[in-house]
Amino acid sequence: MGLLPDEAKVLPPPGIVNRNSVWFGLCGWATAMLHNSLNRRPALKAGLHRQALFITVGWFIGYHLTKFENYKYATLDRDMSEYIRLHPEEFPDKGNSTWKSSRIRVLISVLRFSLY
Amino acid sequence: MPFGRLFIVLNMNGFSLFSVFSRNSFIASKPDPSKPNMLRVGLAFGSTAVLWALLFKQHSTDVHEYKTRNGLE
Repeated sequence: MGLLPDEAKVLPPPGIVNRNSVWFGLCGWATAMLHNSLNRRPALKAGLHRQALFITVGWFIGYHLTKFENYKYATLDRDMSEYIRLHPEEFPDKGNSTWKSSRIRVLISVLRFSLY
Repeated sequence: MPFGRLFIVLNMNGFSLFSVFSRNSFIASKPDPSKPNMLRVGLAFGSTAVLWALLFKQHSTDVHEYKTRNGLE
């Protein structure tokens, strides 16, 4: 893993078919079909080597992106759990959570969303 | 003028030794779909195969590493 540290290998790897691979593969295919159309070639039947290559490149990038994404989410979850463990007074078992703990949970879920 | 002739001579074997952004109208031709550039097609399919092989190898390495580090196998 080029971008990922060694500890990321503890996480389960994504399958060959994963959300980012499918999406980037479809985007690559759409790019190849657009390239055909803009050069006045039949969109689906022409340049099959190009379509295959673009789909493959997208699939490859998507797999590594999914691995990176899983690692980033895992670190955020670990930090959140560690914070909750170190500040139990803010997360009482019974009753409503405190204002501070609910703000922290919202902040961390926003941080997760900001990965996009 | 002599430079143009030199350019034509260098292009006799079909590919240009200069990478230019403009094309010489004396030797340029429209791309012909009935005569594909088999080198490029072969390279495209070859690199496709290489990328899939790399992906499957990386995936199996990752699965093995995961199982080893978590003591599953």
